[in-house]
Amino acid sequence: MTRYAMVIDLNTCVGCNACMAACAMENQTPVWKGEWRTYVHEKEIGVAEQVRRRFFPRLCNHCSNPPCLTVCPTGATYQRADGIVLIDPERCMGCRACAMACPYDARYEVTYDDIKLGKEFYGDLQRTSPSMDKCSFCAHRLDKGMKPACVETCVGSARQFGDLDDPSDPVTQLVASGIAQPLMPHLGTRPNVYYIDDLKRKG
Amino acid sequence: MNIEAFRKIEGQAFYALAGLLGLVVLIGFGAAHYMETHGHVVTGMTNQIVWGLPHVFAVFMIVAASGVLNVASIGSVFGKPVYKARAPLSGLLAIALLAGGLTVLMLDLGRPDRLIVAMTHFNFKSIFALNVILYTGFFAIVAVYIWTMMERKMHAYSKYAGFSAFIWRLALTTATGSIFGFLVARQAYSSAILAPMFIIMSFSYGLAVFILVQSFMYLWNGLELDPAILRRMKNLLATFAGAVLYFTIVYHLTNLYFAKQAAFEQFILVDGGIFTTLFWVGQIFIGTLIPIALLLHPTLGANCKTVIWSALLIVVGGFAQLYVIIIGGQAFPLELFPGMQESSTFFDGAIHYYHPSLPELLLGIGGIGMALLITTIAVRVLRFIPQDDFHHVSKEALTD
Repeated sequence: MTRYAMVIDLNTCVGCNACMAACAMENQTPVWKGEWRTYVHEKEIGVAEQVRRRFFPRLCNHCSNPPCLTVCPTGATYQRADGIVLIDPERCMGCRACAMACPYDARYEVTYDDIKLGKEFYGDLQRTSPSMDKCSFCAHRLDKGMKPACVETCVGSARQFGDLDDPSDPVTQLVASGIAQPLMPHLGTRPNVYYIDDLKRKG
Repeated sequence: MNIEAFRKIEGQAFYALAGLLGLVVLIGFGAAHYMETHGHVVTGMTNQIVWGLPHVFAVFMIVAASGVLNVASIGSVFGKPVYKARAPLSGLLAIALLAGGLTVLMLDLGRPDRLIVAMTHFNFKSIFALNVILYTGFFAIVAVYIWTMMERKMHAYSKYAGFSAFIWRLALTTATGSIFGFLVARQAYSSAILAPMFIIMSFSYGLAVFILVQSFMYLWNGLELDPAILRRMKNLLATFAGAVLYFTIVYHLTNLYFAKQAAFEQFILVDGGIFTTLFWVGQIFIGTLIPIALLLHPTLGANCKTVIWSALLIVVGGFAQLYVIIIGGQAFPLELFPGMQESSTFFDGAIHYYHPSLPELLLGIGGIGMALLITTIAVRVLRFIPQDDFHHVSKEALTD
């Protein structure tokens, strides 16, 4: 079995936003209204003198126990055997329950206007109908043996992608060592995006 | 004035009212079309405030639809004659309000044209899918219930239909409250108390709506409602309003007990701006304390106008309460790094702002227009006006 996961090293992310650009071009997201499948934002975390600034890439966490999947009334959100959570645009009716349920703020809406603008912006737009949208771990690229566009393009190799069911995979080892931690594990969503937050290298 | 002339004027007034309500509905459809075409980017809704003003209207109507059936339940299930005479109107209002609420919800979907998908593909883990079944079933059960009440041959089955409707509406409101109760992505929700709280809210809103509609119908037809009937209803209304207050207190005290919820409670109760104002002024003062005081006042409470005004205040308070629950609940962020100070350009740890737009308001009002239009036409076509027959109502039945 395969269980895809991503590890993002906050120490090596330089905030160049190349991943956002690569993702937008690969997945034709409605960037004109500020909607991205992955988004790198600046973040200050900590208390008092311990406060540190980080570039913080965000995306769908492809949870093993995804609340967006549970809440979706029509089953438009589904999970592949390899753990990737996807949306069937033909079955999505745009109720936005998934956006309400997602603690990672990963989902946004693609509208009729976005399709019209997308054709002008990207030329050959693959999407034909509106629906909710989010990161797919570039499932179409993985199926061809390639890495997700954001991982492929990351300047500082901050994003690493691998298979958690493969013990020799560096991603598995980082997760197993506890260096890489998921966001909000207490919610029980069991996310498959992990972050390395090295306190020693603050600044 | 002779009967002929009166009927002519009354008929003209009916068409004027139906036309006005039809216009309100059409404006609502227009607003929905505008939002659907351009997307929610033209509204106040964002990725953070996912559900906005239309949901406040929709949830109010859905919750009130369930509660308004209480009048019929008290009549059929608990055998109170005064309420029994009002049971058909209660059933009609339940259907009309649910239709109005669901219309708003459907038109607010990103793809309302795909509603059929929701009716044919079910994810049974989803509380929303369960709600689709419960709403559809509610229409069917209440329609059968009305039939058993209005068709003489079916009277024998009325009690069974009423009992089924009573149980079904409890399930429906439980599921509506659970929409929020099952959400872990906001500090405000993920609480088991929301389901019973929604049930008691439905009792209060539903009865308030019923009193308002009933009063308007009596006024419209030049009839006078027996003060004894309104007196009984006002006692019940005050009890329900008090029960909502009780659940609200328990909800907030429970939150305050948990340290992780302290910041959220601080936000809603103390420094949440519009949400704090709506909570204290809208929900607690205008929507709860004033109506309870008026309804229980020994002299003021006996006045029909006071009861009607109190019902109106409870409706206003209901909207304020749902605004705080639905939008205030989304405005407060989930804590990403508990115990840490944080600021980010991705709205983490930041209060989310929401400015309702005109199309959202028009869609919500359109839903109310839809509910009232259905009621107006149905009352005109069928005999839904309460038929009180005091010869058969014992004195005791009016005094408990």
